[in-house]
Amino acid sequence: MKIDLSQFRQIFLIESEDHVASMEAGLLALRSAPDDIELLNGIFRSAHSIKGGAGSFGMTSLVRFTHSLESLLDRLRTSEMQATDLVIDILLRSVDQLRYLLSAGADAEMPLDALELNEQIDGLTPSDSALAEVAPEETRLAVLDEREIRLYTVEFRPDRNLFSSGTNPIVLLRNLAALGTVSCCHLHTEDLPLLADLDPAQCYLSWTVELASLCAEAELREVFEFVDHLAEINIQCVDPSRHPDSAPATVTGTPGTLAARPASNRSPVAAQTKSIAKKTDSNGESGSIRVAISKVDRLIDLVGELVIAHVMTAQMVESFEPSCLPKLREAVAAMERNTRELHERVMGIRMLPVGTLFQRYTRTVYDIAQVTGKQMRLEMSGEETEIDKSMLELLGDPLIHLVRNAADHGIETPEVREAAGKAEEGVISLRAFHRSGRIVIEISDDGAGIDTEKVRIKAIQRGLIGPDSELDDEQLRMLIFEPGFSTCEKISDLSGRGVGMDVVRRNVQQLHGTVALDSERGIGSTVSIELPLTLAILEGLLVRVGDRTLVLPLLSVIETVPLRNEQIVRVAEQGEVVVIREESIPLLRLSRFLGLAPETASTDRASEKAGNRRLAVIVEAGKRKIGLVVDELLGQQQVVVKSLERHLRKVDGLMGATILGDGCVAPIVDVGGLAALNLFATQPTFKVSQQHVPSALSARAV
Amino acid sequence: MRKVMIVDDSVSMRQMVGYTLRQGGFEVIEAEHGQDAMDKLQGSAVDLIITDLNMPVMDGITLIENVRKQPNMKSKPILMLTTEGLATKKEQGKAAGATGWIVKPFDPEKLLQTVAKVLP
Repeated sequence: MKIDLSQFRQIFLIESEDHVASMEAGLLALRSAPDDIELLNGIFRSAHSIKGGAGSFGMTSLVRFTHSLESLLDRLRTSEMQATDLVIDILLRSVDQLRYLLSAGADAEMPLDALELNEQIDGLTPSDSALAEVAPEETRLAVLDEREIRLYTVEFRPDRNLFSSGTNPIVLLRNLAALGTVSCCHLHTEDLPLLADLDPAQCYLSWTVELASLCAEAELREVFEFVDHLAEINIQCVDPSRHPDSAPATVTGTPGTLAARPASNRSPVAAQTKSIAKKTDSNGESGSIRVAISKVDRLIDLVGELVIAHVMTAQMVESFEPSCLPKLREAVAAMERNTRELHERVMGIRMLPVGTLFQRYTRTVYDIAQVTGKQMRLEMSGEETEIDKSMLELLGDPLIHLVRNAADHGIETPEVREAAGKAEEGVISLRAFHRSGRIVIEISDDGAGIDTEKVRIKAIQRGLIGPDSELDDEQLRMLIFEPGFSTCEKISDLSGRGVGMDVVRRNVQQLHGTVALDSERGIGSTVSIELPLTLAILEGLLVRVGDRTLVLPLLSVIETVPLRNEQIVRVAEQGEVVVIREESIPLLRLSRFLGLAPETASTDRASEKAGNRRLAVIVEAGKRKIGLVVDELLGQQQVVVKSLERHLRKVDGLMGATILGDGCVAPIVDVGGLAALNLFATQPTFKVSQQHVPSALSARAV
Repeated sequence: MRKVMIVDDSVSMRQMVGYTLRQGGFEVIEAEHGQDAMDKLQGSAVDLIITDLNMPVMDGITLIENVRKQPNMKSKPILMLTTEGLATKKEQGKAAGATGWIVKPFDPEKLLQTVAKVLP
């Protein structure tokens, strides 16, 4: 029977990622509590588990690396060594190597950095390194060349307390017998006491077995592998004259040899799993998701209820009478309830707490503090806030950039901070919370804030604004999100990696989110990222444009107003703005976006005469408002966002499509993307478009 | 069907050992750590326990000691899951009442052989 364990590789890798993350968190916590045994035990266990599993998948480099790491950790937790900053630093770097080795697959060579670290670690734990050398060595069992039958006499004298180890002597004898043919088995009963004195928990018996076998003596001895401390075992080859050397030479039945013996099994296993591991590599490792069992159980319940509701409905339809109608309604309502809950729960499966993401940045901040000599710490709140898994993955890069920015550019050196009357240690905080149906992630620091004068000079240098442009502080600050902008005088390898804030903004916009920046000189900066709960489902406003139905994400809709001709002002060439409560909002005719017959002010008049007044749906795109001209509002419903890209190329201004109740496909407008398309023909003035209406206050008049 | 309990805080290790045992025709009960194992042993005995040694909440050695105090488990075999090089641990386990050991990383066939070695 071949048992293939490669299917567990994926689970091992996911689990190890968790172990690595908790090691990292543990090590960072260890800095302020270097004697915390519980922390050390936890870190040790993580390394130990990785090592234990890695061997099963032939990840030899990983086994070697974790082995020395484990020795070091063992010394720390037994207080033979102190967790000094140097040691913690080595361990943190080891964590990086673990990550690499885990991702590198089975037959990865040990990278130079890892070898170097290994040496450093072995330098710290001199005696244990010898073990590492021994481990991979192969200790082969003596195998008989000639398959000749030998006669053995095996004496087995167990200690009285043999049973305390859970050993059953009959099993041992049976195993021994299986190795050959037993010609004789003597049971020695001379130690048996009188029945009155007999303790059934003690073993008073011993045996002598005569056995004819093809096996080598070591194989016989292996039967007693686990009881060598609990029994006296004598094995004699009865006819030693035929094999003068064999008996003493191969009979090295010391516990040491036997204990080392299983190591010889490593190679074949490693080779076997290695080839399989390669196959599983291609399956893609990011494609899996871990779900709490309770969530799955609830789903199964719901599906059960749904099946019941379906059966009920089907029965009623089979033998339908008008009197059944109320019951049918009820059944349909139950199905609807179940479907909606199922929907929510299925979406919930994709939701993961942001804490997993936040955790990484403690390390980032630590590293930057080490390099720059600044003092700072990362504070987190709302780690339990759940967010769609795919968003979590896409958020990783923008957030790391923002955290780096805060640590590298925001927080000042201890001297500067002291001079400014602030605490020497700077604080960067990461917060996650819900706000009106969206998730907000805030990265703030209590650092220097953004120097708008520097921003202005830089922006002029880069040609982003003219030398005489009049921009207020907020507008100046927003300039850092423009492509090709970097205010840091010298590019450090920490944050100035050529990835600018524009990339942050672009990534967030890809997630249909918005970025806002708030900063005060000398007090600090806060970047808020606002994201929809999930990318897969949204509350939509269905509108008609010509004969088409479009979906607008309801969250970006501020209000809907009937469009009166006198409200529309034509600016310069073809740009139109609508003036609502003295605010000018650029108008975008969706018919034009869809490529339908162009509508103009005159067609507006015509349709107005016919009693069909057009409407402007005022939407929020980032911080600006635009008015989308539509013919009719059809209603509001939850829609499932389907990607278009599998079928079409990427269409700017659309985030996808959905299938409506009647089976029609309706495109879903990406408001931010649409605004960026600039179909207004003329740019509205900066001033107006920057006016911000807090979405919480807006009336979503539908 | 004979019941084997596998005690390990590592999910992958538990699943691998569990899978191997099921392939070998055993019923498998999983426990996350010593305390979990003790809880699951209340009222139902198993034919064999395979346990990791390094675990949170209750480690393997303590588990073995506790199991040996339980009348219905007093003489049942217990195998330790150990990594090489930790000879002292192995000795501690033996002293606590372990029947034998399986070395990690384990070879599935060898694991079943070892189980056969201690199970009546």
